[in-house]
Amino acid sequence: MKKRKSWLSLLAIVFLLGMLAACSDGNKETTNDPDDGNNDPVTSEPKSGGTVVGAMDTAPTGQFNPIFYQEAYEANILGLTHDSLLSQNDELEFEPHLAKEWKFSEDFSSVTFTLRDDVKWHDGQPFTANDVVFTYKTIADPEYVAAGGVRSSYVSKLVGAEEYTSGETDEFPGVVADDDYTVTFHFKEPNVMALADASFTIIPEHIFKDIPVADMPSAAASLQPNEVIGTGPFKFTEMVEGERYVLTKNPDYFLGEPYLDSVEWRVVNQDLILQLLESGEIDFVADPNGFQAADYDTVANMEHVKIIEQNDFGYQLLGFIQNYRTPEDIEAGVLEPENWVPNERLKDPKVRQAIAYAINRQALIGTKAGEGLLHGRGQIINAPIATQFPAYDGENPNQYEFSQEQANALLDEAGYKDVTGDGLREDPEGNEWVLKLAYPLGNKLREDSAPIIVEMLAEVGVSVDLQQPLEMAAYVPELTNTQDWDLYLLGWTLGSGDPDPSGLWGSKDAYNFGRWYNPEADQLLVDAVTPPDAFDPEFRNQVYSDWQVMFQEDLPALILYAQNKLYAYNERMQGVVPAVTGFINDPQLWWVQD
Amino acid sequence: MYKYIIRRILIFIPMLFALTIIVFALLKAAPGDPFSQILDPDIEAGVLDEQRAAAGFNDPIHVQYINWLTSAVKGDFGDSFRYKGREVTEVIMDRIPNTVYLGLFSLLITIIVAIPIGIYSARHPYSLFDYAATGFGFFGLAVPNFFFGLVIIYLFAIQLGWFPSQGSISSTSLTGMELFTDRIHHLILPGLTLGLASTASYMRYMRSEVLNVLSSDYIRTARAKGMSERNILYKHTLRNAMIPIITLFGFEIGSLLAGAIITEGVFNYPGLGTLFLSSIGNRDYPVIMAIAFLLGLFILVGNLIADILYSIVDPRIRYD
Amino acid sequence: MENNYIPVADPGTSQIAPEEKSRTPFQLALGRFLKNKMAVASVFILFIIVSAVMAAPLLTDQDPTKSNLLLVEQSPSAEHPLGTDSSGRDNFARLLYGGRISLIVGFSAMVFTLAIGVVLGAIAGYYGKLVDAFIMRFADMILILPFLVLVLVIVAILNKVTIGIFVTIIALTSWPGLTRIVRGTFLSLREQEFVLGAKAIGATDLRIIFKHFIPNAIGPIVVNATLMMASYIIVESALSFIGFGIPQPTPTWGNMISEAQSIRILQNNPEAWIPPGLAILVTVLCINFIGDGLRDALDPKSLER
Repeated sequence: MKKRKSWLSLLAIVFLLGMLAACSDGNKETTNDPDDGNNDPVTSEPKSGGTVVGAMDTAPTGQFNPIFYQEAYEANILGLTHDSLLSQNDELEFEPHLAKEWKFSEDFSSVTFTLRDDVKWHDGQPFTANDVVFTYKTIADPEYVAAGGVRSSYVSKLVGAEEYTSGETDEFPGVVADDDYTVTFHFKEPNVMALADASFTIIPEHIFKDIPVADMPSAAASLQPNEVIGTGPFKFTEMVEGERYVLTKNPDYFLGEPYLDSVEWRVVNQDLILQLLESGEIDFVADPNGFQAADYDTVANMEHVKIIEQNDFGYQLLGFIQNYRTPEDIEAGVLEPENWVPNERLKDPKVRQAIAYAINRQALIGTKAGEGLLHGRGQIINAPIATQFPAYDGENPNQYEFSQEQANALLDEAGYKDVTGDGLREDPEGNEWVLKLAYPLGNKLREDSAPIIVEMLAEVGVSVDLQQPLEMAAYVPELTNTQDWDLYLLGWTLGSGDPDPSGLWGSKDAYNFGRWYNPEADQLLVDAVTPPDAFDPEFRNQVYSDWQVMFQEDLPALILYAQNKLYAYNERMQGVVPAVTGFINDPQLWWVQD
Repeated sequence: MYKYIIRRILIFIPMLFALTIIVFALLKAAPGDPFSQILDPDIEAGVLDEQRAAAGFNDPIHVQYINWLTSAVKGDFGDSFRYKGREVTEVIMDRIPNTVYLGLFSLLITIIVAIPIGIYSARHPYSLFDYAATGFGFFGLAVPNFFFGLVIIYLFAIQLGWFPSQGSISSTSLTGMELFTDRIHHLILPGLTLGLASTASYMRYMRSEVLNVLSSDYIRTARAKGMSERNILYKHTLRNAMIPIITLFGFEIGSLLAGAIITEGVFNYPGLGTLFLSSIGNRDYPVIMAIAFLLGLFILVGNLIADILYSIVDPRIRYD
Repeated sequence: MENNYIPVADPGTSQIAPEEKSRTPFQLALGRFLKNKMAVASVFILFIIVSAVMAAPLLTDQDPTKSNLLLVEQSPSAEHPLGTDSSGRDNFARLLYGGRISLIVGFSAMVFTLAIGVVLGAIAGYYGKLVDAFIMRFADMILILPFLVLVLVIVAILNKVTIGIFVTIIALTSWPGLTRIVRGTFLSLREQEFVLGAKAIGATDLRIIFKHFIPNAIGPIVVNATLMMASYIIVESALSFIGFGIPQPTPTWGNMISEAQSIRILQNNPEAWIPPGLAILVTVLCINFIGDGLRDALDPKSLER
């Protein structure tokens, strides 16, 4: 098994504490002892026993049902206790996991999985195709959303899901158990993302079948240690609410008995993680936030600690609000691009491009310790697709290399000149021209970047009025309905399952906060997932490349930076090989050398 | 006296009622709701709106309030939005013991430290000890407690390793005496931090009250009559000096809880304070309402206890 | 009588030594104040602090809000005597300009609270009965209202939290303490003979309040005002710590320390957090010592200390 849990990073509870990151050069492992080499030659054979302690900076909320939880902190636990049919490798290709093999139908509208027959739930019951059916059926249940579930996108493309969810029928033909170890997913139409859609974490039917869906989130099997049952290498056995979460090995794990006796998660104040790492009280710090870029040198100087620096599936952006929804549309809750009112202050693409040229992104990132907000631990990316995907095009889209001359020239050209002589430009009619920049709380680096962006724009004569930072819960509705903001900051964590950027950047997407409207771009996003062409990877990548060029031309947003993910672990931990999708990878092979 | 207490308790009802209305209205006036920070392109359009509707957010605000109130008076504070699948009472009950331990422990530190030092200082005014104590008192009031917390974590938990810097216990498997000492061990740093300011202020109050009493005419008379200093101290001085101190304790309950928000945050101590702060950030209305109600109740009861104690120590005061 | 337990100076029992009789009460108080060395020294130190923050442009030519991404979290140098913060802003300039904000917040919140607290306390204490009951219940209400919820809502509704708004929030939530004190004093004064006398000769309410009550209550009011100012400076820093403070790039002592919350900075960049921490400590200490001195000076009884 390699690179599992694509869905873990599908969690886009992005900003809460999100340190978003990505880098274009893959896995880099740094050790303090250069002789140690890259792959840490193991000096002795793996041995059984021992415990490792991981740190999280925020407590999980306590919902350990894979179909109901929402935060990345639970994912740290569920990543050790539960499995899905497929995992992903470093090229983000799908690989067998609970499923041994799979076969598409000729028209790609259904896919049949052959499951392993040697998998047991933590309570000893065998894992079968019925568990897969049950999981998807529960997500499609009429009660599921009202009970608090949000993963309905995993079933919406399945045959008959709509009818089942609306209660019209009790039949659910979308996922069918052909026999105990064969299961077929039937999609309404050929589905480019079929494998990603089939990779949801599986829950045990025999535990949940008698619990009404509405009561599932409050069932002991969703909340309590020893009651939460998965198929993973570790069992959830002990919990001190908000402080400690202990996972004990599952000796019957289908990929082999784990070496470690247990993995313990401790909730630790972000400020203290490094000290505890140095003292050896915790062994590793990883997802979702890792450690901070500014601490890199400190960690690198700890003798017994190793650093892993790798891409994250996310980015921070400076959004341009190109259009406003009308108050009537907001009232009615509709997204109708035809009705939108252009933002006069930003509607000229030259202005947006000038702003992009005026922002020194490399300076925000820095090139080494003591420089920039990221102390050099980040990358510039020029399209809103994670760099790990082949679909990312790092060449053709405009790179917007920092140039105040370009910015000034574009602004002059667009008629925005300083006529009052105060060093700030007025609009072509000679009226005051002030842009409002809004930003949310919750990510220190992003908060710090806001006033710096204001300064950078002032240098090319663009006057920016920095708004009060808002908590995310208040920021999102304001941003959704704004009538006067011009620029906004936000970050996204992307899923590793598929590069498709729709959902964020289609003109009718709620999260297209800048209200970017370009029918051509919308069409490209549709083409990229429309069979049969979309099953040709080259075609798909080409379409995405065209789309990325268009994105950079229209600039619904300037991608500011992608921050590198920084993991650290005590070198007594052996067998640690993080996946591109996250730190937890083959944890049954972790062992400790004391 | 009983009549007075009953009357006071009756006043609580409209006050708490008003409190819940104000807090409810404020929460609804603040932009955002429990679902508004869930940003996930993977979530289909309409799902969150469906959940809002299921939570009753589309009803008129007075209907929502009345719904809340009718279940609240039955003791049902609803389900948490963030702690999915869990009742508010359960989420809060998980945290209350920790905050109570922390509060009691810091009060204990305050009493043990402040009262003897205050008395000693007052009996030996302008001595070296008095200056040191006064200096400490001023320092305790002047240093922001999060700053103090970070500094003592740095010194005692990280550099010296004497105390844990995080959490409330180290293992669930502990029982009996071991569990007790483990808890105390975890309480010392946050307890000191939380108790610092009140220790300093009680010490100063104690010193000045004792000084005040010692310089009063009746003490002079007692001295003139040849009463022993010990007797003067215990029979007259302390009793009178305790009056304002005791009333302070009642008020202290409120400020302890406010201080706990910051102290618990610094020490990652899972109590009501951290829960309150994160619930505000998440707009977890049912949890905020329940904690606000609870805080209000604590403060009112604290004030009442202060008044009752006051009348017990000072017989001149009669409530009717 | 409930809630009437705040110890206040009792003007009826003032013992003024005979030889001081020829001097005005103000001169007497001043004389007593000047005898308190700590208080006098504090006035002096506070004067230096206030002058330094007022003269900030003369002491540094750095812009406290100007970032420099090539010099982030730098150690002290000739150009940056206290190094730079995480956005490369000069810590020394931030210390000076931040002091302005912190002192202005502390001072104006104090003045504002004083205004509300004294007026409401005076009305409640002077008129008593229903008015009193109403105001005091209102005060109790504010006391049980969670401060953070109020701050949250106000901050969330407004697009910009200016210093003025910040001060208003503090004042609107912290007047009840002072109101209780003023009310207590007034209630005890109400029954004094000289007040009854003044009433008998037809003095107006306003005249009685300003001529007789306020001067008699001035001691506790002034002392509490100083203590309030000190505590508001701390409140500002605490709100910054939990993320409800005045946002960057505006410097305040509070957000300077919060910037340096991480142990890395605690350990590696002491020049970043010790100065603002000390600045708060020293300023608050001085204000408290002055308050103490004022208490002694304005309350003749405490002469014997």
